[in-house]
Amino acid sequence: MSSNLKPLLTAILLILVGGCTRGPSYPENSLQYPININLKSLDPAQSSDDATNEVIPNLYEGLLQYNYLKRPLTVEPLLADGMPIVSKDRLTYTFKIKPGIRFQNSEVFSDGRGREVTAQDFIYSWKRIADPKTMSAGFWIFDGKIKGLNEWRENLAKGAANFDAKIEGLSAPDSHTLVIQLIRPYYQLPYVLTMDYASVVAQEAVSKYGAEFLSHPVGTGPFLLESWVRGGRVVLSKNPNWHGGTYPTEGSSEDQEKGLLTDSGKALPFIEKLIFLEMPEDQPRWFHFIRGQVDFEIIPKDNYDAAVEKNSIRPDLGEKGIHLLNYPYPDINYIAFNMQDPLLGKNVYLRKALALAYDTRLPLEKFYNNRGVIAQSPIAVDMDGYDPAFQNPWKVYDLEKAKQFMKKAGFPDGRGLPTFEYSITSSATARQIAELISMQWQKIGVKLNIVATSWPQFQERVQAKKAQLFHMSWFADYPDSENMLQLLYGPNISPGPNAANYRNSKFDALFEKARLLAPGPERTALYRKMRDVFVEDMPWIPTVHRTGALVEHGWLRNLKPHKTIHGFYKYLRIDVAKKRELKRNL
Amino acid sequence: MLKFTIRRLLYAIPTLFGVTLVIFLLFNVAGGDPALNLAGRHSTAEQITQIRSELGLDLPLVQQYLKLVKQVLTFDWGTSWSSKSSVSTTITNGLGPSLTITLPAFLISLLISIPVALILAYKRNTYFDRVTLLFCLGLLSISSVVYVLVGQYLFTYRFPWFPISGWDPTRPWDYAALPILILITFTLGSDILFFRSVFLQELTQNYVRTARAKGVDEQQMLFRHVLKNALIPIVSLVTLQIPTLILGSLLVESYFSIPGVGGLIFHALQESDFPVIRAATTMAAIFYIFVQLAGDLLFALLDPKVRLNQ
Repeated sequence: MSSNLKPLLTAILLILVGGCTRGPSYPENSLQYPININLKSLDPAQSSDDATNEVIPNLYEGLLQYNYLKRPLTVEPLLADGMPIVSKDRLTYTFKIKPGIRFQNSEVFSDGRGREVTAQDFIYSWKRIADPKTMSAGFWIFDGKIKGLNEWRENLAKGAANFDAKIEGLSAPDSHTLVIQLIRPYYQLPYVLTMDYASVVAQEAVSKYGAEFLSHPVGTGPFLLESWVRGGRVVLSKNPNWHGGTYPTEGSSEDQEKGLLTDSGKALPFIEKLIFLEMPEDQPRWFHFIRGQVDFEIIPKDNYDAAVEKNSIRPDLGEKGIHLLNYPYPDINYIAFNMQDPLLGKNVYLRKALALAYDTRLPLEKFYNNRGVIAQSPIAVDMDGYDPAFQNPWKVYDLEKAKQFMKKAGFPDGRGLPTFEYSITSSATARQIAELISMQWQKIGVKLNIVATSWPQFQERVQAKKAQLFHMSWFADYPDSENMLQLLYGPNISPGPNAANYRNSKFDALFEKARLLAPGPERTALYRKMRDVFVEDMPWIPTVHRTGALVEHGWLRNLKPHKTIHGFYKYLRIDVAKKRELKRNL
Repeated sequence: MLKFTIRRLLYAIPTLFGVTLVIFLLFNVAGGDPALNLAGRHSTAEQITQIRSELGLDLPLVQQYLKLVKQVLTFDWGTSWSSKSSVSTTITNGLGPSLTITLPAFLISLLISIPVALILAYKRNTYFDRVTLLFCLGLLSISSVVYVLVGQYLFTYRFPWFPISGWDPTRPWDYAALPILILITFTLGSDILFFRSVFLQELTQNYVRTARAKGVDEQQMLFRHVLKNALIPIVSLVTLQIPTLILGSLLVESYFSIPGVGGLIFHALQESDFPVIRAATTMAAIFYIFVQLAGDLLFALLDPKVRLNQ
């Protein structure tokens, strides 16, 4: 062998030897979880995606949270000292803040010790959400709801106000009392106050770090940021000065059976370190799970058959102590018609024909692994107004009837009908779904031109009302059907969330009436009336309400997932002895 | 040579100017509106207008372009519209991981492919040459995603010799090893084929025949004459490839969770994050100009016939 090749072989050998080592080691009582999109920020004002929603609630907290075990979801105090006192007219909410809550220790405080949280901190944090310079996607939670906030925002943009300016609707009569005054009743306020956007941040930290505040969290949460390699991993460790909390003591009999009440009353959190691994691709996430390098994982679409057999965990995985957990995922997937399109928007027979000719069972099976139910209306499963027995008459696959409706629409067998543009993002799954739709609609003579673009271009087409037909999905921000029905509310048309640009005065009147009502039978009846108006007009074809499915290792305790609940990591526990035992078989 | 260098550096100014103009026009024609992404799913027209104003997107196009030119001249890339973090810091942080995988892969691939191609050219039309050619064509025909998927499956899962994915700046080689090997595999086929054709052309030259007639030792002839004469096309290829190294490898970075520039640019494109896109592309263009200049200077050293002042 030539001596010229020796350095080369040595280099290759070094690389190989280097590679044959393992990743960083953490204490056994650490939890690792893979997040499937890169984490952009640790600023609660920017918590607009799944990755930020996973990480931020461990660092920051707000006044309220969801009870971890109760279903349907119930709000309970977190930093608030009890639930708010609400005035009779439902326009004033008075919160008491728990005394002695401190921000984490940080250099931003003069003595390095975390300062006590006051009502003024909440006012500052929420003003910050409203500040146009923050460019927070979370302003909607307060937009047009709190007295004087929108005016302050406008003045701030014009340079006519500053952060010291008083806002009528946000006041602090004393250091631990926060009073919110609303413009009109806002029954969803407790829900939005559980969201990361409403978390309390330290003004000192925002001032000191400026643009880099996003990577220097100073919150009150159960964990602290230890390190963050962008695009790699985020490591959080227990906050030694956390104000404390205990595991819930109440739960259902099912919770009891599943061992979810074993740790009742015990001090939180149980986990020493929390590691989020940023992994955009399915394959490595799945391998990490199977090798026991992450503790639980949402099953990737393409690995579903490798994990699940007849709705149960596959026996080979079951033998390794792996469990399957199905969990609520309140959402709606739908094909939207642009109601401002001169043809689709004006021809209800055509829209109904397309709905009748689309067999939703196929995409449910092929693209959602049968995880979910066929959607009949915008109202998500188990939400107020949802009726499992309700059958949308246009959501029954009936090709003959669809052909009759094509005739009524003026296009028998599709004659005279132009080719429609179906806008999608350029992902493989989006294309596959679009091709399936195209094949189905060809049977009634409808032709599609599938236009695949990048996400920003797709978004622009939809929000500029240029897209003719497109697929959308929406998961509920909170457990109230108002959040789904506002997708059809006239004033919310594009660029707002009403992407179909649907306007129906009857629907809008019902929506406006319902949002002033407290949860109860009267409001539920209005929600169902809105559903019926929707069915009459069919501005969308509702397709699927998904169900979440994840797998967990047998050493993980207390996991009761729900798409809407974030910040549940403080409740999770690792059974270290079990982990050692089960890991031997992986 | 000094004059040539100065002249080329002066040429770089209009080139860079052109690059910024193209990037700017592309972004404005096909980039999507970043304000829509930032405003989130509950956006209103008022919020979008306000965000556009904050980003300076409501300014006249000329003013926006001049702002870009100023950023290029001052190397102050501002903050990312998407993550709100400093673009310079973000890209600098990504360069290390990207170069940790692309640079060794590039060098090792060159070190393997050049001698192999030389031997193949020398032994052309033999059984060894044909089998290796077939193998290289095979390597070339397989999609890069297959290498990544199969490589990761085989060497992290079926035979767990390497970490599945991840990154630790204190021990980069632990995580870089397999991605490097995969990158080498998918560049090796094309590199060997290209270099082989370069060497074949050289081997048919008159000077080779003359050297052989004079009884020059074959090994000496190959390494001292053929290799040296073939260096110009080799350097041309290498100078074309070097600038792409800083842009990382999107696919490998994505599957192996390597926080490099490839993934950064991909996400920036997904979110219309123009500050990151313009910084990465402009930096790549500047790098490209300098590497090309270095390549031209190298030509003069390699081939006395090249006169830089002409």
